[in-house]
Amino acid sequence: MEHPRQVTAIGAAMVITSTIIGVGVLPLPRFASEAADTGGPLVTLAGTVPAFVGLWLITALGQRFPEKSIFLYSEDIIGKWPGRLGSALLILFFAALSALTAREFGEVVVTAVLKKTPLEVTVIVMLLLAAISSRNDVVTFSYLHQFYLPFILAPGLLIAVYSLKNAEPLYLLPIWGNEPKAFGEGMLTIASLFQVSFIMSLLIPSMSRPWKAMRAGLSGMAIAAGFYLLIVIATIAVFGPEETKKTLWPTLELARMTSLPANVLERLDAIFLIIWVTAVFTTLLSSYYLTIHAISNLLRLRDHKMFTFFLLPFVFMLSMCIPNVLDLYAIIRLLGKTGLILTVIYPLLLFTTAWIRKRREAS
Amino acid sequence: MNRLKLGFGLCLISIFLGGCWDRLEIEDRAVVLGISIDEADEQDAEAESNISHKNDSFVPPKIDKMRITAQIAVPGRIPLGPEKGGGTDQIPVWVVQATGHTIDDAMMNLQQQISDQLFFGHLRVIVLSEAVAKKGIESISSYFRRNSEVRRLTWMMVSEGKAEHTMNVAPPLERVPALYLLATLDHAVQMGKFPNDFLGIYWITSSSKGRDPYLPYIRIRGKENIEIAGLAYFSGDKMVGVTSPLEIGFFMAIKGMNPGGYSAFVRVPGIERSIMFRTTHRKSSTQLTIQNGKPHFKVRLSLEGNLEEKSTETFSLTEPGILDQIEQYLSREAKKSYTSLIATTQRKGSDIFGFGEYVRAKAPAYWNRHIKTSEAWHEMYKEITVDIEPILKIRRVGMKSS
Repeated sequence: MEHPRQVTAIGAAMVITSTIIGVGVLPLPRFASEAADTGGPLVTLAGTVPAFVGLWLITALGQRFPEKSIFLYSEDIIGKWPGRLGSALLILFFAALSALTAREFGEVVVTAVLKKTPLEVTVIVMLLLAAISSRNDVVTFSYLHQFYLPFILAPGLLIAVYSLKNAEPLYLLPIWGNEPKAFGEGMLTIASLFQVSFIMSLLIPSMSRPWKAMRAGLSGMAIAAGFYLLIVIATIAVFGPEETKKTLWPTLELARMTSLPANVLERLDAIFLIIWVTAVFTTLLSSYYLTIHAISNLLRLRDHKMFTFFLLPFVFMLSMCIPNVLDLYAIIRLLGKTGLILTVIYPLLLFTTAWIRKRREAS
Repeated sequence: MNRLKLGFGLCLISIFLGGCWDRLEIEDRAVVLGISIDEADEQDAEAESNISHKNDSFVPPKIDKMRITAQIAVPGRIPLGPEKGGGTDQIPVWVVQATGHTIDDAMMNLQQQISDQLFFGHLRVIVLSEAVAKKGIESISSYFRRNSEVRRLTWMMVSEGKAEHTMNVAPPLERVPALYLLATLDHAVQMGKFPNDFLGIYWITSSSKGRDPYLPYIRIRGKENIEIAGLAYFSGDKMVGVTSPLEIGFFMAIKGMNPGGYSAFVRVPGIERSIMFRTTHRKSSTQLTIQNGKPHFKVRLSLEGNLEEKSTETFSLTEPGILDQIEQYLSREAKKSYTSLIATTQRKGSDIFGFGEYVRAKAPAYWNRHIKTSEAWHEMYKEITVDIEPILKIRRVGMKSS
């Protein structure tokens, strides 16, 4: 590829962290407590396991083929047509994921902040931003993530720490949950919040030292997982599992209930929503970027820019055909869990085949 | 290419500058500062206009009608900063009423009477009348929970008698009555007179399976004064009783809430006079054991405090053993009154202490086998045993030596 190989290991780690932390942070504690009430933190921790496995696989594959993305080397491993089928499914999946992210963003904005602004406008503005930004090459793309990451992490940590003064430790006991009847399902739902870390596959061909990708990717994900875990612990400790289940976006409620000392700011939700917009943007950017790169790799185009705007109306329409917010979450859970087949099982298949057939890139 | 970029640039500009859907000037908002909720009486019910329902379609639910009284800020009359002397006779708020089948229905009726759009972002107090609270407030909570403008830091309280009177009292300390009510509670929390229990915390406790919520209980004193007259405790979403103000202190002691703010008389043995003891610091630890198939709690309390007043000079505090005697008396009295408070709440089936949460958290197997729901816990709570061991210590006696 003609891209300059300038993405550093730290840069890659930051891309992974900022990609993962996104729109899912708002309903996350609800997913966790619905799965196993007080066991929410444990579910979240368990959910990171499949996510780590997926990332490990995609990075290990990338290191075997350091010049190519998964959409190219899949054809080398399992043959031309099966590989293309896999890529096509991945494209559909990430396009749908972008649509859902944009829609979920729009729903939050319409419900909580701008009630009269049409949903379409919020969604289109967000998608346009992603489309324009994804016209850049991978290096600029990684800089975008690196720039926004501190703005995403710092306020989230602030809210988690300051909310702890209202925390009740009893709400975290027993740690495995009173009735953990949906533990496995919740684990998969939470694992699905991590799957845009698939972007690693696009980063490796542009990394200056691809052999460092494994450490970078895993540590990037560890930071994101720690952040998610902290948010879940703080929310469940403050609200208790039952109240967490009753709120649509517990993390947003947590920000609404937390005030900085000495009445500096009575509610933190304004700041939280601002940073959350950037967090959504970086996640949407990654999934959108992944989609258009996949298409241009599949069609063997040299320039990915062609599809940036071409794809926009389709993603937009996809995001508009969901009837309501409750269906939205049902679809997000369903698609997320099904997506794990593509983002964890499929790479596993590729990896074992490549390992058995001893395929690696001639370099 | 350049043309394309220009085109997109123009599109973007038109999106951002073309107009803002949610623009609403502050003068066009009816900022609601306080709301009170009463039961509607006969004549109100007659006068209600059909706004969210008709008689034959969109039939309203079969629950008692309620009357809301809202305190709305009049734009430009809310004083910012220190007041200038004299000449400001204008009342900064406007008090309006409406009736409806549910809270939202009543709000709709209210909106129909008011030209500006109602805005709840600055709602600070919600006052429920005792009658409303006793009937259950689930539907009221549900409305405020769903409304994205309402802050979780709003205070909800129960008033003796009619709640609408609290919207009309105008104490001279603060120009805006609703803000005075808010200040009363905020300062009570700071002084240790009341636990921090804003709307968000009320919701959290009412959702918990092993805990019942409570709210401040207020009473109008004289013409324009309001006192915190106790703690209204709930069983589920229904209010079942009120404590006395000193019992708020007992409650906070059992929960180990700081700072301590209540004082109590202590009879010194053998003498007819008493001293006044004021708690400053509390610490409590609760231990759960299952005895004879029922949860048994052992609550260890250590309270520190100061002697504030001694109504006689017949004895000196420096006499050997006298402080010990007082402390022992204090501990004995405390044990008696704490136990009786717990027994009262047990009779009413209202676990405001959250003992059930201990069972759920520390003995999950027992919880799943015998309890599981909050209704079952209400029954079980009546049968639990609580053993309280308070130890009270006098640390300081003020600036007088004996």
